[in-house]
Parts: sequence; C-alpha cells; structure tokens
Amino acid sequence: MGMIYIMLIVSLIVALFFLASFFWATKSGQFDDDYTPSVRILFDDEISQKTNQKTNKQSDGSTEV
Amino acid sequence: MTDKVCYHCGDDVIGKGYFFDEKPFCCNGCKTVYQLLKDNNLGSFYTLEANAGAKPSESNQHKYAFLEVESIKSKFIDFEDDTTARVTLFLPQIHCSSCIYLLENIAKIEPAILNCQVNFAKREATIVLDQSNISLAELALLLDRIGYAPNFGNRNQTEKKLDKKFLYKLGIAGFAFGSIMLWSFPEYLGIEGDNPEFRNFTAYLSFAVSLPVLFFSASEYFVSAYKALRYKSLNLDVPITIGIIALYAQSAYSIIAGFGPGYMDSFAGFIFFLLIGKWFQNKTYKTLSFERDYTSYFPVAVTRLIDGKEEIVEIEQLNVQDHVLIRNEEVIPCDSILLSDSAKIDYSFVTGEAVPINKKKGDFIYAGGKLIGQRITLQVEKESNRSHLTQLWNDVQTDKKTRTSFLYQDRLSFYFLIIILIIAGVSSIAWAFVDVTKITQIVVSILIVACPCALALSAPFTFGNVMRLLGRKGLYLKNTGVIERMNEITDIVFDKTGTLTTGTTHKVDFIGDELTKEEKEVIYCLANSSTHPLSRAIVDCLKSQNIASSDEITEFDELSGKGISGHINGIHLKIGSPKFTDLEIIDENETSSFVRLNNGKTGRFIFSSELRVGIEELLHSLKSYRLHVLSGDKDKDKALMQQLFPADSVLLFQQTPKDKLDYIESLNKQGKSVLMIGDGLNDSGALGKADVGIAVSEDVFRFTPSSDAIIEASKLAQLDRLLIISNFSKTVLKVCLAFSVSYNIVGLSFAISGNLTPLIAAILMPISSITVVFISTFLVHLKK
Repeated sequence: MGMIYIMLIVSLIVALFFLASFFWATKSGQFDDDYTPSVRILFDDEISQKTNQKTNKQSDGSTEV
Repeated sequence: MTDKVCYHCGDDVIGKGYFFDEKPFCCNGCKTVYQLLKDNNLGSFYTLEANAGAKPSESNQHKYAFLEVESIKSKFIDFEDDTTARVTLFLPQIHCSSCIYLLENIAKIEPAILNCQVNFAKREATIVLDQSNISLAELALLLDRIGYAPNFGNRNQTEKKLDKKFLYKLGIAGFAFGSIMLWSFPEYLGIEGDNPEFRNFTAYLSFAVSLPVLFFSASEYFVSAYKALRYKSLNLDVPITIGIIALYAQSAYSIIAGFGPGYMDSFAGFIFFLLIGKWFQNKTYKTLSFERDYTSYFPVAVTRLIDGKEEIVEIEQLNVQDHVLIRNEEVIPCDSILLSDSAKIDYSFVTGEAVPINKKKGDFIYAGGKLIGQRITLQVEKESNRSHLTQLWNDVQTDKKTRTSFLYQDRLSFYFLIIILIIAGVSSIAWAFVDVTKITQIVVSILIVACPCALALSAPFTFGNVMRLLGRKGLYLKNTGVIERMNEITDIVFDKTGTLTTGTTHKVDFIGDELTKEEKEVIYCLANSSTHPLSRAIVDCLKSQNIASSDEITEFDELSGKGISGHINGIHLKIGSPKFTDLEIIDENETSSFVRLNNGKTGRFIFSSELRVGIEELLHSLKSYRLHVLSGDKDKDKALMQQLFPADSVLLFQQTPKDKLDYIESLNKQGKSVLMIGDGLNDSGALGKADVGIAVSEDVFRFTPSSDAIIEASKLAQLDRLLIISNFSKTVLKVCLAFSVSYNIVGLSFAISGNLTPLIAAILMPISSITVVFISTFLVHLKK
C-alpha cells in the first residue's frame, strides 16, 4: 500500500513539471502569436532562393508569375 | 473597366500607367517598390500572393522628423544598448502572407536592420536595428517607402501582461482539475471506504492544490461580483460566485471534518470551464479587434516656428498663439488660423467631402483636415486635446459606458438568483419537517448545482461564434455587447456621402454642345493627364463610352484649384471652373467642371454621387425598421433619396456633425434604439451616440475609427442579411438556456432530495457545459 503514496507523489511531480513547462512556454511568448509562424515556415530560406535565381537566370522575368 | 491592374498593389491602372519589366504599375511609388524588391532578391513577394503590395503614400522627408527628438524617440523604443535598439511598430498595412515575407526579409534591403519579426494578428513588427547605421526616423521612412507606414499614435503595453496572467490562471485551473480528478477515482468507483487513511491523504492533497485555483484562477469572478454588488446591481458573476463559495466551503468543511474530498474536482473543473469560455471570447475579440484611438490620425509631433527657427515638439506642448509649420500631406493638429496666403485642405477625413476646400489668409481651420500642396504656417487657437473633434468624442464616450451595463444576461441573472433563493427557502422549510440536521447540506447542494456555469458559457460562445461569422461576411464588431444591442434596433439612420453613395466614383453627365468623337478624345486626353479626382471621373466616364486616346499634349498647364488647359491635335481646350473657362455658373448647388474648346463648343460635366450597388434592394428588405437619412450635403440628391426610401422615412440635409448627434439623441429620447451607419470620423459623434454605430470603410485595414463596428463598404448591401444573423444569436441563446435549465432541474432534483453525491456533481457539471458549447457552435455553423 505504501507504493501508492509514492505513485501519487510522482504523479503530482509529473503534473507540476507540465504546469511549469506551460508557464515557461507562456512566458517565452509562444502563445503570443499563433498565426505568423504557420506562414513563416513556408517561406523558402535564402539558400534555395539563390540557387533558384541562378538556374532560372536566362528566363528571369517569367519565373515570377 | 479593368483593363490593367497594378502588378504591385492590384489597383486599376489609370491613364498610361508606368511600365517596368513589361509589368504595369499604377504609380511611380509602386514601381519603385517593385524595383527595390527585385534588386534585393525579394521577388517571391509577388509569387506568394498576386498584387499583394500596399501602395506607398507620397510622404515627405520630414514626416518622421519627430523621431529624432530624444524624448519622443525613447517612448517607442522597447530596449536599447550602445549599438542596437529594439522597437515594436504598429504597421496597419500588414494584410497577407506576402507582407510577412517582405518585412521579415527587410534586412536584405537595409543591412542595418538586424532582425524583424511580424505579429500578424496584431499587425505589429518587432525590429532590432543597428543604431549606428540607421536611426528610428530613417527606419520609419524606409517602411513608409515600401508601403508600410508605421502608426505612432497608439501605444498599448499593459494588454500583453494581462494576457499572460490569464493563461497562467487557465494553466493552474487545468492542472488542479486533472490532478484532483485522478485522486478522486476511488470516490467515483465507490471504493473510498477501503482505506480511510489514504482517502484522508488525497483529500488534503486536493485541498492544497485547490487553494491557488480559489485565490488566483477564480479571483476575477469575485472581484466582478463584488463590484456589481457595491454598485447595487447584479451580473452573472454574482450567482457564479455564490455557487463557487458554497462549493468550496462545503468541500473544505468535508475535508477538515474527515468526510472525504468533497466536491473539489467539480470546483476545479468548474473554474477551468469558465476560464476556457472567457479565453475563447478574448480570442475572438483579438482576431477581430480594430479598436484604435482616433487620435492615432493626429500626428505625434509638429514643427513649431520660434523666431523663424524650426523646432519639433510634441503636440501636447503646443500653446495658444504658437506658430506651426504644416507640410504637404500633413494633418492639421489643432484648431488654428491660417497665416499663409492660401491653403487647400482635404477634409474628406472629417466631412466626407472628396473635394478639397480652399482657405484664405486669416481663415479659421479646424483640426483633422489634411493639407494638400504647398506648406503653410498656422497660428494655434486651441490646444490639441481641446479641439472640437476631441470634445465631441469625449462627450459620447462617457455616455456609452452607462448604457452597456443593462444587458440581457444581467437581467437574466437577477431572475435566476431570485428563483434559486426561493427554491432553497422552500426546500429548507420542507426538510425542517423531515430532518432538521440536513438543512445546511441541502441548501448548499442547491446553491452548488444551480450555479449558472452553462449559462455563463452559452453567451460568450454564441456571441463569439456569431461575431466570427459576421467578421467573415465583412462586419467587424467591437465586442459581443454590440450583438445584443443590434438585436434591439428599431430605427436605422444612414449617412449619405460615402455610405449610400460611394465616396470615390461619380456619375458623370455632359450637358452642352454636341461633341464629335474626335473632340471627346481630346477631352479624354487632357483629363487623363491630371490626377484631380474630378478629372479621373471624366476619364472613367469617357472610357465607358469606348473613348480612348494617347495623343500628345502641348502647352499643358495645370492651375491648382482652377483647371487644366492644353493643345492637342490642333485643338486648344480648357477644363475647369467657370471663371477659368469664361463660362457662366448655371446652378450653384451642383458640382461641375466646365469645358471650352477653341472651336467655340462649350459645355459642362455634372458630377452626381453614385449609389452603391445593391442599396435599392437593401432598403426594400429593411422594411421592418424605420429609416432615416442624414446628409451633410446640399439637398441636390433629395429627389433621388425620396424615390429610394419608403414614404415614412425622414430625410434631412445640410446636417453638421453636431446636428446629426442631436438628431440621434432626440431619437433616443423617444425610446428608439438606433443603428447609425456612417463614415468614420465625420460622424464619430453620432456613431458613438447611437446604440450601435457602424462605420463604413473601403479598406478595413487602413481606416479604424472608434465605433461599435466596421463594415466593408462592398458588403453594405448585405446589411439585412447580417442583421438576420445577429438576430439568430437570440434563438441560439434560447436553445442553450433551455438546455442549461433542464440540466439544472435534474441537478436540483438530486440536491433537494439530498442525493447530490460528488460523483453526480462531477458528471453533471462538465456535461452541461460541454453540451451548451457544442449546441451554440453547431447552430451558428448551420446558419452559414
């Protein structure tokens, strides 16, 4: 029966750990803006941008339609 | 009509347009932005979304000079060290994913910008810049040049902190709810009697965990209930608070007396659900939030002249008799007297009139107008925060607060409380005959079960969903209270210019000598070379008759405020005022442009405002309301309006903003509920006074005055449909109410008979809340 007390304390500690990480996430601003990151992730990063530019150099204007 | 649209901003290309890379642009500004982006490898701006650009305004170099003043600058900088500084700027033009792309890659254009992060929902950008290479003023100018003019009028920092505190509250309530439920499982399974020592341990654990929920998470309900009681009124938070306290006191007593964990799980769950309801409501507000102080349209600082020397000062520091310098495109900051010879001022902001007004030396100039043309000097007559616009607005604001307190829910909670007290009283009397010792337990159970949690959730969810739906259809509400007021409307008051009629396009008629096609082409050609709104209207009108020409003009001359003249294909012609063209004024009331050709032919273009598409049908379908029109214009359109509106409508012309305000007030006094639709600042007083004030806006992202709601101009014709949706929320609320009442009856029957066990409470409470949330969401989605 003593085991259950330990398990209870463990469950409380685990729950407190999640609560603490929720607080940390809130404090670091992860919930401030939930739209922009979803768009940001779709932008090509700079390297692929430049290679794109090089491969399409001959037909420069037509790549942007 | 739409033969070409600007590759950058998507506007129609007027006249010849500008070409670059074989792509059309509407103005030099758009072309410059395109070149700038292209040179810096930011071409994918255009591939993310077509014609996504924001049109850059023609700003002058001095527009952001005030940011060089240390005391003003420090207000906007969040953080600063020797070399870098971080600023958060409000950029109202942010409207799509391309904007995010461009702004976050702005470092490619200006390497001194170290980092830029966009918050789309708030339309803010947080920028870290290298101060040794770029100043805040230069940054603002750069953003302005690429079409994202920063707005420095409004600062709100406290909101952010409150937001986070709320999330902490929610987190704690959720944590407590989950943990206590886990520890209560023996109670649910009926095996709690097996081990009394263990039961006592979990009970005290629950007690400990519930304390922060009571004192932190639930605190705002106590505060709100206390405030309501202190002002001798009732809101829904009062019965909620009574329920919370009864629930908590009963559970605490049960734990301390050693009877088990009581209803602590229900208590934590209850607070958790209530907070989720509030969170949903706040989120809805924020996505639709448009509330911006109208003072954001006034400049932050102006150039003051002292002994011929220019000095930049904050507007609050201006004194009467000071001389200020206003440049092209700047807003007049305060009521003042013109010292320069003449000035042309665009009051479209204030009066809705598209045509700029000419002022002469010594004339009185009201705050709020925008200067067009040469710079002028003014003498301040009234300090800025006392200008007539501010006064009008302040009067209204105080009035509105008192009115909103009388809401549907608050009335309901009054009856609710009375009924609960009666039930508790009656059942305690009944139990007095059965078992006197059980009376306290019964009364507490009744108070617990009757706690209007489901009711408290139904309103925010229903109104929140309706608000979202209306937002998608082009009507943006300030808060959910507006829906409640919108459902009580009896009278609708329309402003004319910019509301019933479009502010920008005109109906153009030509009266005079018969013109040949060739002569029309010549007129088209000359008018096309001017950017004046009336010239553009002439061009549009001729274009619709399939007239077009691009012949060369010689001897072109434009006299500001008078007219244009030129020589095309051997014909010399003048377009402009009667005096300019040596013709006689025929009707004082009309807006017209006179034309004289050197072959003797004369005539005039008459401009009358054009009704918005669908207005006629709209007015027909609004028969259940009484309609009014208040127009600031001369009564030239009276006949048209009479024909359009039902016979019992009231049509008033030449109304000043003050007249409009008084008229709304008199309607209110007759006990009418008024919906006023007008354009932003001009009618701000009347919009504020009306029970519901809706501002019509061509561009919801740009123009954000203080009113109850903003409607997209193109969606105005669907107003009847929007009102029906808003009214539908009443039905949804009634259904939710019926459900929550039936749950309460079931719960009460348990409570009165003395059978409300923690298990039953733990099942009933969340289920009632969840069904209500489900019903309101489902029904509103059906309405789509």
